[in-house]
Amino acid sequence: MLVGTADLDRLGARAPRLPAFPAEPLALGGVEVLQACFEMRAASREPLLPPGLHPTNPATCIVLAWRCAESVWGPFSLVQLRIGCRSGVRTRGFVWAAACDLPAAAHQLAAHWGFPARPAQIALSRRYDGCTLRVEIDERAVLGIDAQDPDPLAPDDVQYTGTLTLAHTPRGLRLVQIEPRTTLERAERLRPRLAEFDAEAWGSAALTPYHPVSASVGVGRVEIPPVRFVCRPDVLAFQGTEPAR
Amino acid sequence: MRFGLFFEMSVPRPFDAGVESAVFLNALEQARLADELGFDWVWAVEHHFLEEYSHCSAPEVVLAAVAAQTRRIRVGHGAVVCVPEMNHPIRVAERAATLDILSQGRLELGTARSSTWTELGGFGANPDDTKKTWDEFVRVLAQLWGDAPVRYDGRCFSMPERNVLPKPVQKPHPPLWVTVTSPGTELDAAERGLGCLGVASAGYAEQERRTREYHRRIQQCDPVSSVVNDRVTTLNFLYCHEDRAVAAERGLRMLGLFGLANAHLLWTREAYPTRAYQSLGNLAPSGGGDAGDPGSGRAAPEGICIGDPQQIARAIERWQSIGVDGINFLVNAVETLPQSQVLESLRLFAREVMPKFQGGS
Repeated sequence: MLVGTADLDRLGARAPRLPAFPAEPLALGGVEVLQACFEMRAASREPLLPPGLHPTNPATCIVLAWRCAESVWGPFSLVQLRIGCRSGVRTRGFVWAAACDLPAAAHQLAAHWGFPARPAQIALSRRYDGCTLRVEIDERAVLGIDAQDPDPLAPDDVQYTGTLTLAHTPRGLRLVQIEPRTTLERAERLRPRLAEFDAEAWGSAALTPYHPVSASVGVGRVEIPPVRFVCRPDVLAFQGTEPAR
Repeated sequence: MRFGLFFEMSVPRPFDAGVESAVFLNALEQARLADELGFDWVWAVEHHFLEEYSHCSAPEVVLAAVAAQTRRIRVGHGAVVCVPEMNHPIRVAERAATLDILSQGRLELGTARSSTWTELGGFGANPDDTKKTWDEFVRVLAQLWGDAPVRYDGRCFSMPERNVLPKPVQKPHPPLWVTVTSPGTELDAAERGLGCLGVASAGYAEQERRTREYHRRIQQCDPVSSVVNDRVTTLNFLYCHEDRAVAAERGLRMLGLFGLANAHLLWTREAYPTRAYQSLGNLAPSGGGDAGDPGSGRAAPEGICIGDPQQIARAIERWQSIGVDGINFLVNAVETLPQSQVLESLRLFAREVMPKFQGGS
């Protein structure tokens, strides 16, 4: 089985500090959710994942954007750049990078769940015939997705895989398992186009999303539960899974 | 009760010279032995691009070799992917008929629609359409094998009047099956009068429920041809050894590694949300290890044929009691077991277990 080959020292250098695992879930309401999946080049399969994770075949880069109308910090948007992977036999998305447009939210999401959220300008807009996402970091366009031709789906037709972030936790550098519960009221599938992507700005030239697979957009609520398990990033999940507390 | 071998052709990394060849040649040796021992079927899957998990992209070629090297065992496409981007229905009919001739009437033809984005995306197939194209394929195949030239106007393909050649030896045609991965597909099989080729592990209770419902539905089927195949088979794992501790140690490791490889497939629904694929596919039974650790299996999941002959016979008795007509076995996974152990397991099973079920034909 292929495993990740990313250098843990380099990954750890940019991983957030998570001083204490959250005791309470986080509820987000009125959330517009865009998920767009792109295949990456074969050369990207291993370098973007820590050795504890397995890549998918083909390698996938998934953009997951939330525009939250209601949260304890007020409205905010979060964009995750995820690498499709497996942790043992579990289907996961490894959060390679993230961007958030509200500093308070970015700080709390990093400090409690390990989201490596950088400050950014984020614009997620839904229209009758499509959806667009634009992300700017330091006034530089780093991500643009245009998704068109919406096709109605049942909300249950859209699947969101579990999340893994990498953070310096009380147990050391760990992959943090997060199982957000996304409950949609309505959903559509769209055809995505990658209008803009700056791999260097997202932290690696190995990020090579090139082949659009699908996009979906939905409206609903998201609950991020407390963290129950973490994994060592240097060994496979079978050996390295630990309770968070 | 009938017994078969089920070949995925899983290949361990690294893909050094000779590794792939060894997997195929080992499978042929297993097929020859199974033929001698009285097994009923050899099935070969059709998968594309699934590194490690399955390198069996040309099953009709594998099965032609099996047919040429065996005398009586039946050869099964397990199954042809009925998606026009992968297989044109005319070519499916032609290849199957040729294989039926070369095997002297020993072909079984399974039909499927593929479950992974890796495969569907690789061929540019639309996941929304695969159920429709599968339905069209299974309805037209029997016509293409008929004696008269056929003209056809359909949704996924059309043809002016032509005589598709050659014709199969078995009349009116080889038995048709549907591979059943997702719950509910057995009903699609029943409604069309097609055999249920189970390829996902289910426990006794779930299989009993599915089998009962399949047999109830097939009584009122609208068959796709003049013959109905009303048999139900399941997929299982086989490692038989006199010492049940040895059997467990070796067999459960094989089972665990197959499950791991299976879990690493990129299922369609994960990449492409669609009503056409309601569940993530998973062929491997759960349980049998700590958190799925392929190396730490402690007990075989319910009904799995890993153990000593008595244990395996008891499991098969149970499958038989709930109406299963046949069991197809994966006998290795990513070459976890040395070939000598696989062959010994087959011999012991044939000697100690098969006679209890009159499995040999």
